Amino acid sequence: MADNNTFDAIVVGSGISGGWAAKELTEKGLKVLMLERGHHIEHIKDYADTNKPVWEYPHRGGRTRKMVEDYPVLKRDYPLNERNLSYWASDKDSPYVEKKPFGWFRGYHTGGRSLMWGRQSYRWSEQDYEANAKDGIAIDWPVRYKEIAPWYDYVESFAGISGSLEGLPQLPDGKFLPPMEMNVVEKMVAEKIKQHYNNQRTMIIGRTANLTKEIPGRTTACQFRNICWNGCIFGAYFSTQSSTLPAAMKTGNLTLRNNSIVTEVIYDKDTKKAKGVRVLDAVTNQTYEFFSKIVFLCASTFNSTWILMRSATDIWPDGLGSSSGELGHNVMDHHLKLGASGDVEGFEDRYTFGFRPNGIYIPRFRNLPGGEKRNYIRGFGYQGAASREGWGRQIAELNIGAELKDALGEPGKWTMGVGGFGEMLPYHDNKITLSKDKKDKWGLPVLEFDVEFKENEKNMRIDIVNDAKEMLEAAGIKNVRGGDGGCEPGWGIHEMGTARMGKDQKTSVLNKWNQVWDAPNVYVTDGSFMTSASCVNPSLSYMAFTARAVDHAVSELKKMNV
Amino acid sequence: MVAAATGGVVIGGEFFLAGCKNPEAGVGESATFGESDIAFLDEVAETIFPKTSTPGAKDAKVGQYMSVMVTDCYEAKDQQAFRDGMKKINEACDKMHKHGFMKASPEQRKELLVSLDKERAEYQKNKKKEDPNHYFQYFKQLTIMGYFTSKEGREGATNYQPVPGRYQGDIPYKKGDKVQTGLS
Repeated sequence: MADNNTFDAIVVGSGISGGWAAKELTEKGLKVLMLERGHHIEHIKDYADTNKPVWEYPHRGGRTRKMVEDYPVLKRDYPLNERNLSYWASDKDSPYVEKKPFGWFRGYHTGGRSLMWGRQSYRWSEQDYEANAKDGIAIDWPVRYKEIAPWYDYVESFAGISGSLEGLPQLPDGKFLPPMEMNVVEKMVAEKIKQHYNNQRTMIIGRTANLTKEIPGRTTACQFRNICWNGCIFGAYFSTQSSTLPAAMKTGNLTLRNNSIVTEVIYDKDTKKAKGVRVLDAVTNQTYEFFSKIVFLCASTFNSTWILMRSATDIWPDGLGSSSGELGHNVMDHHLKLGASGDVEGFEDRYTFGFRPNGIYIPRFRNLPGGEKRNYIRGFGYQGAASREGWGRQIAELNIGAELKDALGEPGKWTMGVGGFGEMLPYHDNKITLSKDKKDKWGLPVLEFDVEFKENEKNMRIDIVNDAKEMLEAAGIKNVRGGDGGCEPGWGIHEMGTARMGKDQKTSVLNKWNQVWDAPNVYVTDGSFMTSASCVNPSLSYMAFTARAVDHAVSELKKMNV
Repeated sequence: MVAAATGGVVIGGEFFLAGCKNPEAGVGESATFGESDIAFLDEVAETIFPKTSTPGAKDAKVGQYMSVMVTDCYEAKDQQAFRDGMKKINEACDKMHKHGFMKASPEQRKELLVSLDKERAEYQKNKKKEDPNHYFQYFKQLTIMGYFTSKEGREGATNYQPVPGRYQGDIPYKKGDKVQTGLS
């Protein structure tokens, strides 16, 4: 069995979940093959723009007509710019069908979107895991906070999450590095919100996967340049490259293969398990088979489900894991692009130093236990910041000349803004399916998206804007302007669902250990497994569930159960 | 409107660029930016942001920057509006000072652009959302953007901190201290 196509475990994908799976599996002594569909990006060496000042970009970081033409999806939001374009998947090579608008922003390379992620890292609360059961919607989570809490401890300690301890039931504290600092205006606003709402609403510093001090193996803390998305030469934020990949490589147990599109999981009817995976080399178009005892699908939400849909179709026409009828269903994201901002009076003699890759966070306060019930269920949080205006501001009283140049060379007034992140419910009819006729450049049938926000999200959005305005006004902010900029599903880049976990194989794709009910040696640990969406950023939960699933898989292997 | 003013037809960006090249044309006539265009844009930008104790727009090569941004990033209709704007600046200068912009003294240029900027501000304030921008909006915006994203502008006119190394949320500020800028 010891030929070079056979491993103890195969990990599909190298992003946040895949990196964690590889680290945990290799550290437990398994020989692991990690398959990444895109090219390699070497830590530090390949971060071409990590030290590049804005003037070295031909268009100063902006977008050209050619880029807009080439990236019909990416152009819909901030990801399309000149700075890290090579980190985003080509829309042209990897098309999909939108029955309704859905923005799918992907990173196909070593590290996946761990290189470009927003790094905000929050635990889910007991209330989040109980939500479906209490509201009587979708299915109950098979896991409770108590079971996952030690895994949050574990992944936070390794990843390096900075944050403050707040004692909030809706946003549990964790194993944090020292918090970043709120600036002088944010502290004022936080205090006023606390007073006005009698401690029922809180504004805290964001919890972020940026090192505020050195941790073992990572010797440089954040330098406050705030250009994380280019890749950090200091390795000061969590990414596969800075964190999990070096740990996995150190064991000598990891083989990383790039340009490896997994076309299907090879399913063995007799053992009712997976034997391995079939791979299409994205560059040579050659096909390969790799074999293993266990398979971790960490290809990203939708891509892992896409692989399952193409697997074991001789037994289940809709693919491996489809026996419940839930594979591809319950697509979720967070809804955003709305909030409020305004001007701050005073503080003209105060300023900040450095560029903080983080902002403030206002944890959920709506529909908490014992509170007033709104005309929607669940809730939302806000991210935001206060800052002094820079050179891009309007100065109506000056027209042109030296006075204008000098004035814009000084900071302007303070402003404060917050933007909402709302929970989206899991709806069975929000789904992805395989296209019958459209294929990508590798001949694979593309995904069709049929996803929309519904009544609950729309009602919530009214509160998100009104509450933002009210809180800023309560904090004494002037000229408060609020609004809903409109949002497509997908723009949160927090895709979740399509292979949800549950207690019953008739209504879920995975069991509580992230195992596919129909093939227990296949684990899915990216956002596909999520049974509901909470309103907090999900990546930390993927880390925790991945580490827990590996622990389970290895112990089951020892017991010969998988 | 734009088509009528130039006697031409507004066509797609790429064809426009490839098909209308005429290096002999006057200011704003050519579809690509020649040396004389860039020299003109430099002088417009320098009038908006003149050299003082800090670098001017010409030091920051803002004319070149404008030509790249307009060519690569602007939609065809905005490119046309920008080119027409170059001509309009020249014509307005002729009307005010009896000669073109390049022949005008710095004082004459300033007088002209101050009046155009007032016209711009008035127009922008009253325009409907779907109305096009006043042409001088492009020149002013590109000058500010080009200057403050240039090496000369950042290093000369702001407190440029490529690697701050720390964050402080409350430091004293006194009038005249420069705005802080970084790599991005």
